[in-house]
Amino acid sequence: MSYTSLIFWAFVCACILLYFLFPKAHRWWVLLAASWFFYGYSSLKYCYYILFTTVTTWGFALLLDRMAEQTKSEVKSHSEWGRPEKKAYKEKRKKLSGRMLLLYVILNIGILVFLKYYTAAMGGINSLLGEAHALPVMKLILPLGISFYTFQSVGYVIDVRNGLVRAEKNFAKVSLFVSFFPQIIQGPISFYDQLAGQLYEGHDFDWNRFVSGAELILWGLFKKMLIADRAVNAVHSISDRYSEFNGTSLTFALLMYALQLYVDFSAGIDISRGIAEIIGINMTENFHQPYFSTSINDYWRRWHISLGGWMKKYIFYPVAVLPVLTRASKSIGKSGFGKTRYGSNIAKTLAAAVGSLIVFIVVGIWHGSEARYFFFGLYNGLIIMISVLFKPFFEDINRWLHIPSESKGMYLFRMIRTFILVLIGYVFDIAPNMAGVRAFFVRMLTDQNVHIFMQQKRASVNLSMLDLQVILFGTLVVLVSSVIQETRKVTIREMLKTRPVIRWIILTSAIALIVIFGVYGPNFDSVQFVYAQY
Amino acid sequence: MEELLEILCEIKEDVDFENCKTLIDDGILDSFDILQIISALDDEYDISIPASEIVPANFNSAEALLAMVKRLSDD
Repeated sequence: MSYTSLIFWAFVCACILLYFLFPKAHRWWVLLAASWFFYGYSSLKYCYYILFTTVTTWGFALLLDRMAEQTKSEVKSHSEWGRPEKKAYKEKRKKLSGRMLLLYVILNIGILVFLKYYTAAMGGINSLLGEAHALPVMKLILPLGISFYTFQSVGYVIDVRNGLVRAEKNFAKVSLFVSFFPQIIQGPISFYDQLAGQLYEGHDFDWNRFVSGAELILWGLFKKMLIADRAVNAVHSISDRYSEFNGTSLTFALLMYALQLYVDFSAGIDISRGIAEIIGINMTENFHQPYFSTSINDYWRRWHISLGGWMKKYIFYPVAVLPVLTRASKSIGKSGFGKTRYGSNIAKTLAAAVGSLIVFIVVGIWHGSEARYFFFGLYNGLIIMISVLFKPFFEDINRWLHIPSESKGMYLFRMIRTFILVLIGYVFDIAPNMAGVRAFFVRMLTDQNVHIFMQQKRASVNLSMLDLQVILFGTLVVLVSSVIQETRKVTIREMLKTRPVIRWIILTSAIALIVIFGVYGPNFDSVQFVYAQY
Repeated sequence: MEELLEILCEIKEDVDFENCKTLIDDGILDSFDILQIISALDDEYDISIPASEIVPANFNSAEALLAMVKRLSDD
């Protein structure tokens, strides 16, 4: 069920209407029924995967919660125990709950890993065995939103084990947390303590919230239907046959990809958040003007914020506090080198740098099984690692070159430099394989010719003059709104709340623009959101 | 508390650790600062702060940090 289809919006309207018609205490049942209907309608053949995750999440969370309670009551009941006995007992129980958690994680992340990498692994095995001995390969399809509901569920069970939240006893409520329909396609990934309470609570209808949510949905549809779905064809018509294009065309495709990726992904999130907001649920933000970042680290704090938050909580910190890294940091700190300015910084930031590298390699591999995704992660991780470990060195260079690091010029320079670094990372994503990655880089550096690009664009790129004009107009609107939000530190929606006339003019114009220039209709096969098959 | 405030100010000089209650919520401390604080507290109080303790509730203020240190020392 596409976000740009009429049936989806009929479904959303019915869901919202039923939600507010139901008695307050039972409104969450409407969300659950809608979520199951949405999943079943979109991916009925594969719904046993989400069912398995729901059952194991419910069961393991309850088990771990019960274990923690038993530990507490056991310690309490043995008043004769001294501190060492209590500590030893707690440690024993902690190990046991750790093993249970590991089993849960292996089961659920295992499914995700299997489905994502099975085909690539079998391809590798069969190429080793040769054609004569090749093993049969099953055709597997990734179920809708599997990464997002798996990450969210795993986070919940880890939080229960760590005593941060209590387990939910009601299976239906856990099921709603796992499958809540506005976020199932591509996130945002929420933490249990942020989302669950809001899902189960019955919200009253609020007109201002309704308008605000509708604005977010319109903004999402504007970006998706005017820009993303027009730009995607141009990107594919070049990247799929990259060998036929010169460096300028490839650069054009890369820039279009940067635009399409951002507007498509952020549009999907805006639509999801808008629907949730109308119901009364505030979902976490996922983007914060990422292309205005002044470093790669900054970029990853502004891009896919909810995935970053999840990775930070469940991978970065556990890796960074590993005893081996702590020991290494301390031994550097105590050495002669550790007493120098450079050495002291390396000792202080080593754990964070290694943690970041591991996170980015995981993020890279999560994007896909091909080698280029591993290098995408490695590339980002290494940039962050080097920038953190050698920060004093870069500060010294700035000082030696008398660069005013706080000036507006330097701010702009950092922004452009970061955008170029981000674009380099996107090459690993847009090129179909590592040979393509090499070709992209070589041609972009050596084969620039605007005249040939214009010829190639006319002859082979699926992009009409109308497409280009609408994309340019839409991009200008996105750019202006981003500049306003970045400089004034408030969202456009907040600004418009005090300007009702302008607000309604903009809303009406947005609807008109979507209806006139949006890409939709019976002959149009709506493009899936970029992250829908993750 | 004095001792803890001294440790915190050594890690990040320009923060009002004595009064601020939103060190994480307002993004005053980033993950790199948090790891430095953990390392310093581990050394100073001979404790081991596990990843499961790295939540905003424990790092939002100096009081919250002190409460966590006391709890982990007692365990």
